[in-house]
Amino acid sequence: MVETTLIKKVLIANRGEIAVRIIQACRELGIETAAIYSEVDRTALHVRQADEAYLIGGPRPSESYLVIDKVLEAARRAGADAIHPGYGFLAERADFAQACLDEGLIFIGPRPHSIGMMGDKLAARETMRKAGVPLIPGTRPGLRDDEMLAVAEGEVGFPLMVKAAAGGGGKGIRIVHRLEDLPGALATARREAEAAFGDGTVYLEKLIEGAHHIEIQVLADQHGNTIHLGERECSIQRRHQKLLEECPSMFLEGDMRQRMGETAIRVAQAVDYLNAGTVEFLVDRDRNYYFLEMNTRIQVEHAVTEMVTGVDLVKEQIRIARGRRMGPTQESLTMKGWAVECRINAEDPYNQFMPSVGRISAIVAPTGPGIRVDSGVYDGYEITPYYDSMLAKLICWGESRGEALLRMRRALSEYRIMGVNTNIPFHQTLLDSHRFLAGSFDTSFVEQRFELERDNRDLHPEVAAIMATLVAHRQRQQAAQIVQPNERDTSNWKWVGRWERLHR
Amino acid sequence: MKYLATVNDQTYTIELQPDGKLLVDGHEHEVNFLSLDEKAFYSLLVNNRSYEGLVREAEGQYEVLLWGALYNVKVMDEREQRLAQSSALFVPSGTEIAIRAPMPGLIVEVPVDAGQDVEAGETLVILESMKMQNELKAPRAGKVHAVHVKAGENVEQNKTLVTIT
Repeated sequence: MVETTLIKKVLIANRGEIAVRIIQACRELGIETAAIYSEVDRTALHVRQADEAYLIGGPRPSESYLVIDKVLEAARRAGADAIHPGYGFLAERADFAQACLDEGLIFIGPRPHSIGMMGDKLAARETMRKAGVPLIPGTRPGLRDDEMLAVAEGEVGFPLMVKAAAGGGGKGIRIVHRLEDLPGALATARREAEAAFGDGTVYLEKLIEGAHHIEIQVLADQHGNTIHLGERECSIQRRHQKLLEECPSMFLEGDMRQRMGETAIRVAQAVDYLNAGTVEFLVDRDRNYYFLEMNTRIQVEHAVTEMVTGVDLVKEQIRIARGRRMGPTQESLTMKGWAVECRINAEDPYNQFMPSVGRISAIVAPTGPGIRVDSGVYDGYEITPYYDSMLAKLICWGESRGEALLRMRRALSEYRIMGVNTNIPFHQTLLDSHRFLAGSFDTSFVEQRFELERDNRDLHPEVAAIMATLVAHRQRQQAAQIVQPNERDTSNWKWVGRWERLHR
Repeated sequence: MKYLATVNDQTYTIELQPDGKLLVDGHEHEVNFLSLDEKAFYSLLVNNRSYEGLVREAEGQYEVLLWGALYNVKVMDEREQRLAQSSALFVPSGTEIAIRAPMPGLIVEVPVDAGQDVEAGETLVILESMKMQNELKAPRAGKVHAVHVKAGENVEQNKTLVTIT
């Protein structure tokens, strides 16, 4: 018999849009929320929206969001009875989950040993091998550079990837085609992994070319129920950062969803999994699928699954953490329509996707049927260089893939963000690409077959010229009026300022 | 009042006449222009076609966001145009290029030394920001004149990192 407990207040050990998303779920359930924030995040949206907020340290994640003691101290001060870790930061740290339990807090996520088993790639591979789950050739993490160089050519084979053992989100990954490039790649990957996760351990994995990245959402409750909620297509990536995700995937044929779903359930059960998780697969050209890893947390792209299945995954996470039976069953679950998510990042797509910092001087999000915006920013918000560059997620639902994509096109053109560069032009160009629309893409599509030309999107240069000129004229007129207040107005073009005031 | 507005190497002559007409390269347009928030949002009707845009002035240029596309527009009046033409004669050739930090961050590595020849596209500085390592590359071939930063240093936005001659 599973004991159900009451959760009255949740401490959210995260920031940005996911912290806001968790606040929304808690509020719908009548649960109080406590946010944590670093010194540069006083004005962040999650701080503004939570019921309570606790300052926990300096701007660098290693001084605040990654410090377990500070997070637990905030939970004590808030009198929280549960912690939601979100994604990134401490979400996949078994020691954090354990520390929460030791503190008498409910950890809204898997059991510490499940996180630990999936976080330790060697243990995970071994467990999966025993469970009969198909695997990609690779090494265990923690080998010395010379040991990795020795097995790279034979056991693993080129091209291969250097990956961070503590990884996720594409950080610390390098693709290597030749043995002589491996030492340099190892050094860079270690540095990035150290900076992002506080752990520089890396391993090698064979690169499957022409592959699709398809993942299965799972949910498991304390009553022994484990279900899958279908797939997400995440092949549109750049430098292993997902940019656009879909649910379902065009690439799955026949009974593949069912087979992959059953494998994902087997993966989850093999590590005694609890709560929401995602089993990532690589699917090769011949539609063989290989277990990649399991993300033991809520995913950035969870919203597309929510739109298609109608299941609120964050609320299910809380329900499961309380010891209750999860809402959906495998039999009751249906997938309706199609959902697409574009990650809106502060980066310049015309300049190697260079991150962009600054103040958002104006922002208007799209609205209307089938559109959902999960955002962590607002008008006047300052983007700092300390956290990742994702500003918001734009999610569109449609009856069919076509409708969802057309809706996304409209929504992107209506999304107005000024003050920082965003990757919206990238998404717009992608949605104009015939290959993408036809579903003929794989994980290498963005980097190898995709050309972003500035001219493609410049449909109204003349209108832009008129608008800029009228603004410039108006500014000059205003400046002139300040200098010569008594000079008589003879030009009808003063209406740019004056006519307007009359007509307001 | 006559202005020259340049977008992507295309220059439009835009005339605002005292009677309220607007001419683009001599063609007359009926225009109705309105600020929506006294800040950045504008509504423009050109021959009854409706456009809504965001306009921001940045370093003497205007950034216009229109239907998701961002345009950089340089606007000059006749006097500025004449000034620009006359000063263009005095621009020295083969000037120094400064590689500046596009954002605040941590210098991870500076793989070049002063006095070294570099190719166009060669990595000059690796700057870490927003959890990503960004390679700043040489915009053209040349010689590294000076290196102003070292690995491990935190830099502010726009700090000159490396100069090339």
